[in-house]
Amino acid sequence: MEKIVYKILSTKRNKFIVIMIVLMAMGASVMMIPTKLILARMLPGKSANTFTIYVDTATNASIKETKMVTSCIVDIMTKEKEVTDMEVFLGQGAPLDYAGLVKGSALKSLKNQAEIVINLTDKHGRDEPSFAMVHRIRPIINEACGSLVENTSIRFTEMPSGPPTLATIVVELYGKNDEVLRETAINVAAILAETDGLVDIDIMQDDLYTKYDLVPDKEKIIRSGLSVDQVNQIIYLAFQGMPIAVKNTHNQQDQIPIFLRLDDKTRTVDFHTKEALLNKLSSLKLMNAKGMMVPLSEIIQLEAQLSSPTIFRKNLKNMVTITAECDMVSQVYPLLESRDKMIEKLWKKYEVTKKPGIDTFMFDLNLVDRKTGTKILLRWDGEMKVSLDTFRDLGGAFISALVLMFLLMVVYYKSFALSGIVLIGSFLSIVGVIAGHWVADKFSLFMTDVNFFLTATSLIGFISLMGISARSSLLLIDFAMSLIADTGMEKKRAIAIATATRAKPIMLTAVAIILGSLLLATDPIFGGLGVALIFGSMATTLVSLFFIPVLMDNARALMPDEYFMNQIKVKKGTWCVIADNVKSLFPPYKMRK
Amino acid sequence: MEAYKIKNIAGQLAKSFLSNPLTPVLAVAILLLGYISLEVMPREEDPQIEVSGGSVIVAIPGATPSEINNVVIKPLERRIREIKGVEHVYSTAMNNFGMVNVQYYIGENRESSNLKLYDKVMQNMDQLPAGTMPPLVKPFDIDIDIPILTVAFYKIDNTPNRPEEISKLYKLIRDLQQNINALDNVSKTTLKGVKRPQFNVLIDLHKLSGYHLSLGQVAKAIKSISSNAPQIDTVSGSGKLVVFGVKNAIDDIDDLKELIVAQYMGSPIYLKNIAKVEYHFDIQNYRTAFITYQEGQKEAEYTENEKKEQEEKGLVFRDAGHQITMTVSKLKGTNAVHIAEAAIEEIQAAKKELLDHGIGFIVTRNYGERANEAVNELVHHLVITIFIIALILIPFLGWRESLVVTIAVPMILATTLFIALMTDQTINRITLFAFLLSLGLIVDDAIIVIENIHRRLHLKESEGLEFDEIIIQATDEIGPSTNIATIAIMLTMIPMAFVGGMMGQFMKPIPLNVPVALAVSLFVAYVFAPYLARKFIKFEKHESHEADVPEKVKELSEELDVKEEGRQ
Repeated sequence: MEKIVYKILSTKRNKFIVIMIVLMAMGASVMMIPTKLILARMLPGKSANTFTIYVDTATNASIKETKMVTSCIVDIMTKEKEVTDMEVFLGQGAPLDYAGLVKGSALKSLKNQAEIVINLTDKHGRDEPSFAMVHRIRPIINEACGSLVENTSIRFTEMPSGPPTLATIVVELYGKNDEVLRETAINVAAILAETDGLVDIDIMQDDLYTKYDLVPDKEKIIRSGLSVDQVNQIIYLAFQGMPIAVKNTHNQQDQIPIFLRLDDKTRTVDFHTKEALLNKLSSLKLMNAKGMMVPLSEIIQLEAQLSSPTIFRKNLKNMVTITAECDMVSQVYPLLESRDKMIEKLWKKYEVTKKPGIDTFMFDLNLVDRKTGTKILLRWDGEMKVSLDTFRDLGGAFISALVLMFLLMVVYYKSFALSGIVLIGSFLSIVGVIAGHWVADKFSLFMTDVNFFLTATSLIGFISLMGISARSSLLLIDFAMSLIADTGMEKKRAIAIATATRAKPIMLTAVAIILGSLLLATDPIFGGLGVALIFGSMATTLVSLFFIPVLMDNARALMPDEYFMNQIKVKKGTWCVIADNVKSLFPPYKMRK
Repeated sequence: MEAYKIKNIAGQLAKSFLSNPLTPVLAVAILLLGYISLEVMPREEDPQIEVSGGSVIVAIPGATPSEINNVVIKPLERRIREIKGVEHVYSTAMNNFGMVNVQYYIGENRESSNLKLYDKVMQNMDQLPAGTMPPLVKPFDIDIDIPILTVAFYKIDNTPNRPEEISKLYKLIRDLQQNINALDNVSKTTLKGVKRPQFNVLIDLHKLSGYHLSLGQVAKAIKSISSNAPQIDTVSGSGKLVVFGVKNAIDDIDDLKELIVAQYMGSPIYLKNIAKVEYHFDIQNYRTAFITYQEGQKEAEYTENEKKEQEEKGLVFRDAGHQITMTVSKLKGTNAVHIAEAAIEEIQAAKKELLDHGIGFIVTRNYGERANEAVNELVHHLVITIFIIALILIPFLGWRESLVVTIAVPMILATTLFIALMTDQTINRITLFAFLLSLGLIVDDAIIVIENIHRRLHLKESEGLEFDEIIIQATDEIGPSTNIATIAIMLTMIPMAFVGGMMGQFMKPIPLNVPVALAVSLFVAYVFAPYLARKFIKFEKHESHEADVPEKVKELSEELDVKEEGRQ
């Protein structure tokens, strides 16, 4: 060990080679990210024992139609042997879970909404992870049940492995003109649907349908001795029905209501036409104050009209949301792909400009209608926004960690060069982190055909690695410095001996970390952290044993200066001068005593 | 040789605890506290994310979405924007009503956020447009709103639902719900898919017009006889209280059927003549729940043979039709595991009664069990990892030294766990990952101390020194650089605490626990590692070790000898 290091240090050429190797490794590994050899993602999928299917039929669908879709899905799911039980909740959300909390499950109360909870056998005894099952079943269900009722959207919701979001990909369109928004939303959804890897695309807006307005004829109503209020009440009572009285009971916690309505046979309208409805209304008669029966159709006029859809707003602006899920792929690449497509396809109708500057809204597009000049803001939200925010914050954390460490080192060594060495050494662990992910990705693809992503947890691993590699460099520099200071040994020789002596504890701690992270690496969520730690600490060990010595040799600060040397002579018998110096610099140590 | 002067806190600590009789007591106490903390701490699968928000619902009957938008939503949004800490305001304008959902920044205090929202709405009550119903303010609360346990009750036999059975089923489950609500730390229980008993009067429109009746007449007739009156009391001649009252005229379904609605051509028209009158459930409620389950999956009582039969039959799914799902939530900071267990016990106790009524149940969600599983699995991983590390250290350091490290690690984890308990944290997946992550970091300090003691024992320099003296010197020697290195690692973890948003809250246990574990690891490395080394490592008063000292160490010691001579 000592000889090798000494050999490297002794010639300029060898030192140059080591530096070049490190630089190339660094460059190559960083290049892996833009060239997609490594795929980045917020958090990977997690196998769970349950998932939920959200069903939304057309806005004017009846509960019967919604039930038709859910029954179809349940039928298909009964062919799965890993399913233990399924609960269908019609016209309401399933019992709330983390995913449902942000997806608005608790607010569901309409006839066109339903949720199906699918419980599976325990994940430990099951070969197929839940996300793979969803991936397999999704096209089957969509094909069989998706077209039973028009405008049906069937979405699969898995337990999120991290914090929940509305959807993986969320496109928000902001604008003042509702019609333009509606039209653009349909275009955008079509583009998302074309993009590979995006599924479960849903536009969160009401469908337009025909509804009928009963316009009361004022004159006739007054002449026949009726009131509009009476008309309203009777129509409601006849077709919706309402509890008109209650009966208290002794043996129930609740009162028993008496509910009045037309029976099912006479309540139903034969066809979905204006005439049929008018026909039905004509047989409903009202009694006026004189006891005369007046047919309802006499005092009203029927008008067909488009429904007025629900208006959605966010932060005081009208908005349409389009959501999409990623089918076992990272959200980053489909997002960029569909964004490029949007710029290309929307170009005909709109003037598309990208949002300038870099922030967490950096993918936003500004659309201006070429003819009317209507402005629309297309904003990307959902998991991408959360990822960008998190990566930004983690990046900030990383930089402040670097600064803090640098300051600590400067205080310790009183030298910028040495502190720089420690810092560079810690930063180089990125080579191992990225290369490790490449290896893990290939291995995971080979074993289970699932991609292994660079995730937020990998970044956490990287940050903690900095501390670990700083420790190795620190031990090396410390030892070499005290060797030189104490014995006045030649610099290159001292570095070589320090490296050789410290190799054992450095490798021991690296081994401890690698073994400690082995089980971590098998976890779906914290796998990135595990892989980052394992390969990162391998890289760190190599860097501190071969590259750090080269840097140390180049740093002049390693040699104690004249004054320092003199001091040593004065303070004979003091074993560790540096420690003494540090002590005077660190009041906390004294205070701890 | 002059007496060794201790220069670092490391040596101080090592010295004061090395031969202190209280050291082992302290060690045992720490391990015990750690174990108790592991058992006592509330367990959950995911860490708590403090999300504050709520919705304001305003109804104006008969208003269109654009009316609602202009009259209610826009002014309300502006008012809510005035509240500090609001991140997003989502609003929906529908037919007849509008809703504004308020989302606060993650980490805003929940109670004060709810109060601020309520306050803002109440302050502006006077500005509500005419015809508006009083606004509803509903804050949402993760703890209360997310149930930890859901149980589906369904009918075992395939007979159609008779009305009496429906009300009986409902009553039975209502009673059960009452019992579960009485359990400790249960906060909210709800029933989903409930069908309430009801008298349905379904009128035939043709018959109605045939008898020349209007709907209003029928309604009036029913209303007039079904009023409930309070009890009346008066005093008798002798001063005794006499209580009497008018009984509701409708006692059962037949009373309703026999109700005379009107006279037609002299003969009475009964309600049953024009309508179908039945005692049934609320047919206007379209919110229903169904269940389909695979037979033989959940019933553990099957014998081997029956199981085989089951497998031969293939997949048998049974559509059990209507179901009622009971949901159970817990109070904040309580142990999901215990609550779920207690609630299931309560249901199991009622199992026989339920079976008598032909009702079966399936637990469809059990977060308590899942949390317990997740925690146990990770604790298992921790133990395995500690042993792997211990094993790998044996060839490098020798088994006695390795044993010291193996004992030090649980002590560090135990202390960290205890501190976590004291600071009101819960055990969840992320806390345990923080431990797994710190495992690789915390063994280092102990390893470095032990390695140095080990190295010093074999140095010529230590010749003639007492064992205790060597240990103290060895610990003291690596003190400064270990301190700095550990502080460096702590510094890298701390900024993570400032990551914002959901993800920041989610990961919070990592920056909370890892630095604590590292600080504790320093303490343990200086206090207990030397103590354990003294107990475990065999010390022979220095003879010549030349033969088995590795090459580089020998060289080094020679160098040190040179230095030593230079000093004297």
